[in-house]
Amino acid sequence: MKKKLMSMVLCVLLIAAMTVGCGGQETPASTGTTSETESTDTADGGESYTIATVVKDMSDPWCLRHQEGVEAYAEETGYNCYVKGPSKTDSAEQIQVLENLIEQDIDALCVVPIDPEACKPVLAKAREKGIVVITHEAEGFEECDYDLEAFNNQEYGEAMMDELAEAMGEEGKYVTMVAFLSSTSHNQWMDAAVAHQKEAYPNMELIPEERIECEDNMDMAYNKAKEIIKKYPDIKGFLGASSYDPPGAAKAIDELGMTGQIHAVGTGVPSVSQPYLESGSNPCVLCWDPALSGKAMCQLAVMILEGNEDQIQTGLDLGIEGYNSVTVDGTNISGNAILVIDKENMADYAF
Amino acid sequence: MKVKRLLKRNEFYVALIIVVLSLLIHAKSGQFFTANNLVDLARSLIVPGMMASGLFMVIASGNIDVSFPYTAMLCMFSITKLFQIMDYQGPVILGFILAAVIGALLGAVNGVLAAWLKLPTLIITLGTCTIYLGFTQGVLKSSVISVLPAPLADMANTNLFSVRSAATNLGSSMHISIFLLIATLLIVGFIMRYTMLGRGIYAVGGDPVAAERVGFNVKAITVFVFAFCGLVGGVTGLTQVTLSGMCQINFFDGYEMTIIAAVVLGGANIAGGSGSVFGTFLGVLLMKLISNNLILLGIPTEWSKLMTGVLIILGVCVSAYKMVSAERKVTSNILKAADGEEAAHE
Repeated sequence: MKKKLMSMVLCVLLIAAMTVGCGGQETPASTGTTSETESTDTADGGESYTIATVVKDMSDPWCLRHQEGVEAYAEETGYNCYVKGPSKTDSAEQIQVLENLIEQDIDALCVVPIDPEACKPVLAKAREKGIVVITHEAEGFEECDYDLEAFNNQEYGEAMMDELAEAMGEEGKYVTMVAFLSSTSHNQWMDAAVAHQKEAYPNMELIPEERIECEDNMDMAYNKAKEIIKKYPDIKGFLGASSYDPPGAAKAIDELGMTGQIHAVGTGVPSVSQPYLESGSNPCVLCWDPALSGKAMCQLAVMILEGNEDQIQTGLDLGIEGYNSVTVDGTNISGNAILVIDKENMADYAF
Repeated sequence: MKVKRLLKRNEFYVALIIVVLSLLIHAKSGQFFTANNLVDLARSLIVPGMMASGLFMVIASGNIDVSFPYTAMLCMFSITKLFQIMDYQGPVILGFILAAVIGALLGAVNGVLAAWLKLPTLIITLGTCTIYLGFTQGVLKSSVISVLPAPLADMANTNLFSVRSAATNLGSSMHISIFLLIATLLIVGFIMRYTMLGRGIYAVGGDPVAAERVGFNVKAITVFVFAFCGLVGGVTGLTQVTLSGMCQINFFDGYEMTIIAAVVLGGANIAGGSGSVFGTFLGVLLMKLISNNLILLGIPTEWSKLMTGVLIILGVCVSAYKMVSAERKVTSNILKAADGEEAAHE
C-alpha cells in the first residue's frame, strides 16, 4: 500500500516535471504581457500599437537577427513591438505560441510560419478577433492580410543559379538540396533555379537524383553530399536551399580534397558558412537580412492599422532598404532585398 | 558442429546481409570497395556505434532508453558553450570527462526512477528526454555554435591518416575519435562477457525475479546500465561536435529510433536477456550501409525513407523469425519429451 502511494506521488512529480519542461517555452509569452501593459505611450503621441512577431526558432542566430530588427523598429517608432517564438523549429510549439499571443491584447501579428498549412486555423482565429496578420516566407498563403517576401521567389532561385553558374564556369553537373521535399519556398526556389539553368546555361546538367533532402541538418547535408560526390566524381556544383546545405556540402568538399573543383552555393548565413567562405568551397551564399524584413513586416502592419491600406500598391516605399519599391500582387508583396555574401563582405553581417 | 552453431547465431545472418549489400552497392556504383569510401564508412560509424553499444546494455537488461540522444545533445551543447564562455584553452580531455560525468548523472536519473518506480522504462525515459530537451532550450538557451572553442576545434582537425582513391581522386581522413568507438566497444564487450556485472545484466534481462533470487542486486544493476548509457551518450555528444566542426542541437533528431532498430537488428532481444556487442556493431554497420548508400544504390530521394523502413522491417523479421523458431523447437522438445513419458507409462 505504502509502495503504491509512493509510486503514485512520484508519478505525479514526473508529470509535473514534464509539464514544467514543456512550459518553459510558454513563460516568455506571458512575460510579454507585463511589458506591453507598461508602455502604451508612443513617441509622437499618436495611437500606440502592440505588434507581436513570431519567428521560427528562438535559438537560431537568424531569428535573433530578426528580433534585432523588430526591436530597432520599436525604438524608432515607439510602438510596442516584441518577438516570441518556439525554442526549437517545431511547428506544434509555434502554434502554441500563436494561441497564447492571440489571447492577449495585440493589434497585429507578424508570423514566419514553420508549416503554413498547420498555422491556418490559429491565424484564422486571430483575424476573426480583428488582429492584422502579416506572414513571411509563405508566398501564396491565404490566411493573412498580406504576405511579405524579401524577394520574388523566382528571382531568388534565378539569382542563386547565376551565382552557381559563375562558380562552375557555366558548365558541369550539379544537384539541388532542400530541407524537405514538402518545404514550399525551398522547392519554389529550386524549381525556378533549374528552369533558369535550362534556359540560360545549356552546358550545365542536373544529375538524375535532382533533389536531395537534408532536413535542415548540417550533418545530414554533409553525409548526403559525400555520397553524391562518390557517385558522381565529376560533379561540379551543389545548390542548397536550406542555410545548412551549402556549409554541409562544403565540409564534404573540403574533406574529400575537392576544394576549388566543386562549389556549393545557396542560402546561407555568415555565422555558419564563415569557414567555408574562407576555404572557398562556398564561393558565396545568398540570403536576405532578417532584421530588415522584420522591420518591413511591422511597418506594413502599422500601415494597415492606420487605415492606409489603399496605399499598398506596386511601387510603395516602406522606407526600408530593399523594400523601397515593392511589388504587390493581390495579398502577396515582394521586395528586392537579395543579399549576396562572400569572403569580402561577410564581416558586415552578424547573423 | 561448429558450422551448425555458427548457423544458429544471429550475427552470422547480419554479417551475411552486410556482405551481400556491400557487393550489391559495389556492383551498382563501383565505389564501395575504395579506400576513401571505407574510411568514410568507418567514420560514419563512430557516433551511432558508440550510442548503440551503450544502449545495448540497457536493452540486454530488459529495459529501454529513448533519452540518450537528448543526454548527448545536452552534454554536447553545455560543454561547447561552457568552453566558449570560459575561453578554455586547456586539454580537450577535460571536456570529455565533464561530458561523461554529466551524462552519467542524467542516465542515473533514469536508472533510479526505473529501479524504484517500476514503471515501463519507455515512459520514464520519454519523460526525462522531454526534460533534457526543455532544459537545453530553456535554461541553457541553446543556439547554433559554428565557431568551436580552440581545444575542440583542434581535435576536430586531428586525423590519424588520410587516404586518396586513385580512380576518383577523392580523399578521406580517419578521425582521431575512432579510438573512442573502439574503446567503447571493448569496454562494453569486456563488461558483458567477462564480469559478474555483465552476467547480472543478462540475468536481469532474462528474468528479474529469478535474478534477484540468485542474489543479483537488480536495482543496482538497473541504475548502472542507465548511468553507463548516459555516460556513453555524453561522450558521444562531444564526439559529434568534433566530427562536425560545429554544434547544432538537432544533430541527433530521430536517433532514438534508428539506434534501437540497429541494436535489435544486431540480434539483441528487445525483451532483454540476449545479444552481443559484436552483433550490435554489425547492426549499426547494416543501418549505416543502408542509410548512407541509398544514393549510390540509385534510389530516388522520394523513395529513400520507404526503402530504409522496409529494410529495417526485413532485418528485424529475420531475427524475430529465428527467435520464434527457436522457441518452437523448445516447445516441441518438451512436447516430445511429454509424449515419450506418456508412451513409457503406457
